[in-house]
Amino acid sequence: MLKKKQIPEATIPTASQADLAFLLLLFFLVTTTIDIDTGLGLTLPEYIPEEEQIEVKIDPSRMAAVLVNENGDVLIDGNVIPVFQIKDMLKARIASKNDLPKNKKMIVSLKTDRKTVYHVYISALDQIKLAYFEVRDEYSNLKFGKKFADLDEEKKSIVKEVVPIIISLAEPESIKNS
Amino acid sequence: MNFKKKRANTKEEIPTTAMPDIVFMLLMFFMTVTTMRDIDVLVSFKLPEAKALEKIESKRLVSYIWVGKDKRMQINDSFIKMEEIEGIMYDKKQALPEIIVSLRSDQNVDMGFITDIQQALRKAYCLRINYSAMIKV
Repeated sequence: MLKKKQIPEATIPTASQADLAFLLLLFFLVTTTIDIDTGLGLTLPEYIPEEEQIEVKIDPSRMAAVLVNENGDVLIDGNVIPVFQIKDMLKARIASKNDLPKNKKMIVSLKTDRKTVYHVYISALDQIKLAYFEVRDEYSNLKFGKKFADLDEEKKSIVKEVVPIIISLAEPESIKNS
Repeated sequence: MNFKKKRANTKEEIPTTAMPDIVFMLLMFFMTVTTMRDIDVLVSFKLPEAKALEKIESKRLVSYIWVGKDKRMQINDSFIKMEEIEGIMYDKKQALPEIIVSLRSDQNVDMGFITDIQQALRKAYCLRINYSAMIKV
């Protein structure tokens, strides 16, 4: 009679599999980035050559011209103010236009000198955006009892309609030889 | 007397067979939420600070322009000159129409330089930009 052969145990050792997986995990942790980019978003106007530019008259009450010169001084409609006051200056004016139709909303125009330092420009832009954001927050608090960021998409678009962010970057002046 | 300790008859091992599966799950999670670091930044810069920050929703749409302290510019993996921006960015816009250009510039660069970059971007129709900034505390 044939004796049945004893089959030796055939297992693949899996004890080190976890170590291998950890190694892979570490590799991915090192080579990838998880940080989220934050910044100030803006949409630039389309480029139009100088000959084709048309001047459009805008009602001065709709317009707030923010000028930043090379020393970091800020001029809004003829008044010199510090950078951190831009927000308070603009907030009331933006909020007063909430009930007006779409084509009468506030436009903030930001203009800098060629020698203005970048971070001054960023803080000015930051102030303008903050002003808009706070007006949005106040409006949504009033209307929906929530902050703008906590609203759902539908209500967000209503608030966006009422308080649109219109920031215009002034056309840079071509360099003049003086 | 019997000094032998009483022990339960059960095995005293922690089962480790499922550990690789758990680690692989972690791995999968990291693979999906992160993006590959594909560019070495060659310029040195310190970002400006701001409060009204927005997050960029999708990292895949973002294309970076780095501007260093010494006003050197980097796109992708190489230094570029001002005149080259328009061409490069136009090609990028063609490849990816929803492109967002993130400007990572040093805080002490003058605005003339930034304006020139913006004009080049406008000519290339890359109109959505984002001024990268750190959160101000």
